Amino acid sequence: MGKLFKPLFATQASQYAVNCVYLLVASLWLHFAEKSVIAFLMLLFSFLVLYYSDKIPNKIRIIVGALIFLVLLPFATGANPYYMEVSSNVGIYVAMALGLNIVVGFAGLLDMGYVAFFAAGAYSYAIFATAQANKFIPTSVMQFPLSGGWFWLFLLVGLVVAATFGILLGLPVLKVKGDYLAIVTLGFGEIVRIVFNNLDHPINITNGPRGLPAITQPQLFGMTLNTPLHYYYLVLIVIAFIILVNKRLENSRLGRAWIAIREDELAAQAMGIPLVKTKLMAFATGASFAGIVGVIFAAKQTFVDPTSFILMQSISILVMVILGGSGSVPGVIVGGAIITVLNVQVLQEISQWMNELSMSGIVNIPSELDPSKFQRLIFGVILICIAIFRPSGIIPAKRPAIDIERIKELDKTLPQTGILGKMGTVQDGRKEA
Amino acid sequence: MGLDFYVAILPQVLIDGLTLGFLYAVVALGYTMVYGILELINFAHGEIFMVGAFVGTEVLLYFKSGGILDGMNPFVALIGALLVATVFAGGLGVGIERIAYRPLRNSPRLVVLISAIGVSFLLQDLVRLVEGVTRNAFFLNSPQLFTKSIPITQTAVLPMKSIIIMVSAIVMMIALQVFVKQTKWGKAMRAVAQDQTTSSLMQINVNKVIAITFFIGSGLGGATGVLYAQYFATINPFIGFLLGLKAFTAAVLGGIGNIQGAMFGGVLLGLFESVGSAYLDPLTGGAIGAEYKDVFAFALLILVLLFKPEGLLGEAVKEKV
Amino acid sequence: MSTVLEIKNITKRFGGLIAVADVSVSINKGTITAVIGPNGAGKTTFFNMVTGFYVPDEGDVLLDGKSIKGLRPDQISSRGIARTFQNIRLFKEMTALENVMVGMDTRLKAGIFGILRNGRRIKEEEERVRVEAYRLLKFVGIEDIANNEAQSLPYGVQRRLEIARALAASPKIILLDEPAAGMNPRETVELTDFIFRLRDELKLSIVLIEHDMKLVMKLSENIHVLDYGQKIAEGTPEEIRTNKRVIEAYLGKSADEAS
Repeated sequence: MGKLFKPLFATQASQYAVNCVYLLVASLWLHFAEKSVIAFLMLLFSFLVLYYSDKIPNKIRIIVGALIFLVLLPFATGANPYYMEVSSNVGIYVAMALGLNIVVGFAGLLDMGYVAFFAAGAYSYAIFATAQANKFIPTSVMQFPLSGGWFWLFLLVGLVVAATFGILLGLPVLKVKGDYLAIVTLGFGEIVRIVFNNLDHPINITNGPRGLPAITQPQLFGMTLNTPLHYYYLVLIVIAFIILVNKRLENSRLGRAWIAIREDELAAQAMGIPLVKTKLMAFATGASFAGIVGVIFAAKQTFVDPTSFILMQSISILVMVILGGSGSVPGVIVGGAIITVLNVQVLQEISQWMNELSMSGIVNIPSELDPSKFQRLIFGVILICIAIFRPSGIIPAKRPAIDIERIKELDKTLPQTGILGKMGTVQDGRKEA
Repeated sequence: MGLDFYVAILPQVLIDGLTLGFLYAVVALGYTMVYGILELINFAHGEIFMVGAFVGTEVLLYFKSGGILDGMNPFVALIGALLVATVFAGGLGVGIERIAYRPLRNSPRLVVLISAIGVSFLLQDLVRLVEGVTRNAFFLNSPQLFTKSIPITQTAVLPMKSIIIMVSAIVMMIALQVFVKQTKWGKAMRAVAQDQTTSSLMQINVNKVIAITFFIGSGLGGATGVLYAQYFATINPFIGFLLGLKAFTAAVLGGIGNIQGAMFGGVLLGLFESVGSAYLDPLTGGAIGAEYKDVFAFALLILVLLFKPEGLLGEAVKEKV
Repeated sequence: MSTVLEIKNITKRFGGLIAVADVSVSINKGTITAVIGPNGAGKTTFFNMVTGFYVPDEGDVLLDGKSIKGLRPDQISSRGIARTFQNIRLFKEMTALENVMVGMDTRLKAGIFGILRNGRRIKEEEERVRVEAYRLLKFVGIEDIANNEAQSLPYGVQRRLEIARALAASPKIILLDEPAAGMNPRETVELTDFIFRLRDELKLSIVLIEHDMKLVMKLSENIHVLDYGQKIAEGTPEEIRTNKRVIEAYLGKSADEAS
């Protein structure tokens, strides 16, 4: 937080006030402006203001946060399908970025083929939610496509398939270190895409480059989920779940082991942490998030083909993590939101605007200058600038301080454990020395 | 299919594989040199190669539009294109090092790698932008200087351009070897690769040595780009990425940091790829065919890194505890 | 006195170079043993073989009579050998408390599903871990920096933290690689007392590599001297001080200084 904002966040009352004013301005602006990117981003980032309002009790912050996204955002935009579509896309990418954050941010393993797991999840639903599965499973055994009610089971299937993929790919790959790992995972990502692209022969499993159209949409209590608003809520629930998982892992035995490996692999091993197993856990956990999101993606798009799983996607997700702050959950959410909005909204709008200018004959802009085609350039510049000027990202990761007072309380009651159990009472080191 | 089919196509498969292999080999040198000195995978090296291909092709197109290409000795035209591309790509490499890598010399390696990936993507779009604005298309057709072929068997020909590629590649590699072994700067380069701190204490200008390394490695990459454009005729801004990855595979295959190793790895990979894509389809009855040829390179890379990470010609190095 | 660690004729070669040749050392329970020798004598290689970072080309390492040769470093650690590093290797971006908590990892039971459910058992385990880590920081006298990032700590504190982290695994033996390196004389004296406390209060067996002869002579019950990868002497500080080969190896200077 900049110095400028410090006074605003000085007391609990001021924090409440800031939040109220911020939310009011953002929602009114968004409500009355037509398709305003800035107003939309402003409301989207209201969670950051909440995040920094550390004097407001956690429970209240969580409730307010939930209300913003469950009620305020859909209402302020008038449940405009365009905004709901953009928001669900933001959600899908944020969820994936949070998954990659476990691998890259926590465990420090530069995975450049992450989109392979997304593909695994998407295809595992797409194949069975279309008639495709009947190309290798006789109709006498089972009739496909499955009905929309199966979707919920497939969230789990996607998770398991992607995690299995993660372990299968990870087993050989994770013996490779550092820079090499980046190249090898990139290779694996490409292999998976090429295989999916060609698995229409000898047995037609993925339908190759033609892709799988007309994927069954999910059903809930007899209602078919088919509007952007539906998917918005679905994605929201998944994100909440993924953030919870991230938070729990981050401050657990496993999260500590991951970060220890990132910081110093040799020392971590000397402290008893099994490298391959712990890295595999990171790979599988990260992959499973992408798997769930892949299933949702397939259902939402109702069409998948290998072009959704190109290297550029892996790079986009990586840029989100690095830009936001590798290892930082709020940072990665911000990074994911910025990059997705940039990709699907800002660039598109500039393109459109430039097109209109060209059409009206004011200036003639060659179509090669179309900014929506300049993802690589923009990502390239972002990566270089972040590496040079702010390697820890927009919101750098910070280890949480542990409540020492609570520990001191427990210190009085809990029995001695570990090596200290071999002696009577703990003495103060300094008095001895 | 009968055995005679496999035998009949073999000469052509080998010629194509060797040509491809020599292209990989020279690009691999750039990876190996930079890795040897900075322990950095110069992710942008494939794009430097691509830039070289575009610069060289633009030179030839310039000759052509001036109407002088037809009257020119093709060797003179090629050498002109090679020279301009080498200098341009070399300068580009030095510039990249100065801007995107040098400020990060004391950063964690992951950060440098991220910067390198950034450069790689930036260059792809930059070339597309320039070509798009000036030519309104980003695919370029390179004028073909050598179109003759020497028949070898009934089914196989040795194209002139393959000979040119192989000879140029060998000349470049010998020249590099002589430079590294015989000259003052070559020796300084090897010293810096061994130990930067000690080298700087010995009055070696480490920054200059690194810049020279980048210049030579990138220059060789750029020159290979011109040869690539001759061989494949059409180029686009994205050719560098995959070729770069394969050349990197070649460098790892031969043992990264090792100049002869890069040559060996390149040729091996080229042959492997060519043989694989020619024979797998008929052998598996069409189940797995040439569409998997990029998979072979990656699979080979992964296998080597797993079982012999020091490369086929390299020596094992153990991490310092 | 019973032997806890028995190193039998271990040898390690790197290419043509023999870093450690046929060295045998046996460590008695609850003692302090020093491994000394000039730079490049193979001391750290010796440590790396005992802790599993290198596998000895020949010979064997027995912990409580069972061979641990060929086990991974993490397996050896969980069997009761902990170590520190010559050039402090803390987890820089983690807090001091977390560094110690990582050391406890092998003793914890939480699995991924338990962590995700975050039930009462896991919460209690987490609290126990925190308290024990805090007590270990207290034991080494640095509990007031529990929540500071390891990289922000002064050098001497980092050394202590590294020992606390090693203790967290509840080892039988602790290997200290040049614990006094970079310390001033006052800190070295403190360290001497501290190492005695490790032995007397925690009943640890201690093996240390050290260049500070004064410290070595004061602390150790047994000293092993390596030179060019070979063991040239073994004995009590008294015996080592007067050993001709040792004096030669140190050019007759260091050993004199030490006495």
